[in-house]
Amino acid sequence: MKLETTRFGTIDIEEKQVIEFSDGLYGFEKESLFTFLPFNPNVESPMEWMQSILSPHLAFVITDPYLYVPEYKLKLSEEDKNKVGLELNEPFLTRSIVTIPENYTEMTANLVAPIVINSNKRVAKQFVLTSMEYDTRHYLLPEEMRTEAAAR
Amino acid sequence: MLVLTRKIGESIKINEDVKITVIDVKGKNIRLGIEAPRETKIYREEVFLKIREQNQTAATSHFFDPSKVSKLIKDKIKK
Repeated sequence: MKLETTRFGTIDIEEKQVIEFSDGLYGFEKESLFTFLPFNPNVESPMEWMQSILSPHLAFVITDPYLYVPEYKLKLSEEDKNKVGLELNEPFLTRSIVTIPENYTEMTANLVAPIVINSNKRVAKQFVLTSMEYDTRHYLLPEEMRTEAAAR
Repeated sequence: MLVLTRKIGESIKINEDVKITVIDVKGKNIRLGIEAPRETKIYREEVFLKIREQNQTAATSHFFDPSKVSKLIKDKIKK
């Protein structure tokens, strides 16, 4: 299928690359369909784009939180798993939405509201952790790498 | 909205298994104790507002050069 996007122009994706978020995202409740795209073409990256199917202008940067916080704790209840159609011990993908400010060395990931993806059924949901342990703005880089100079 | 008055030490029960007790009142702050089954999700309401705002900020902060961002992150992960 052809997909219009503001950032990438018109691209061709397969039906099976579409992921359904039946509840949308917080603040974007009507955005129920997304597809994941490479962060920069031809270069391997820990980041990905999550492009809306319904709104050409809407795209998020996402990343795997375990790359930065290996001990990240995300415990899904049986009810949570049902919401994304996961069987009891079925593996799932976890991604965090990244915010990249003008000084991109200060980029952060939202560890409070991870996106859980059932890749087999191609459904996903943004969950909210009840634990107070994590921040909605978790710096991806350690302090010594977060410099004004690096951004120039 | 149902409105109830409670004293310190008094509780309300919701269904059979959720109990909320007023532990203490100090000025404008009220400490509540909540007993509920493990799977019950209890949030401070502001967290949802914060997430909504963060999602909105994330969706509009796109000033960067993806190759620079990838390089920096890869340097960090290698460490």
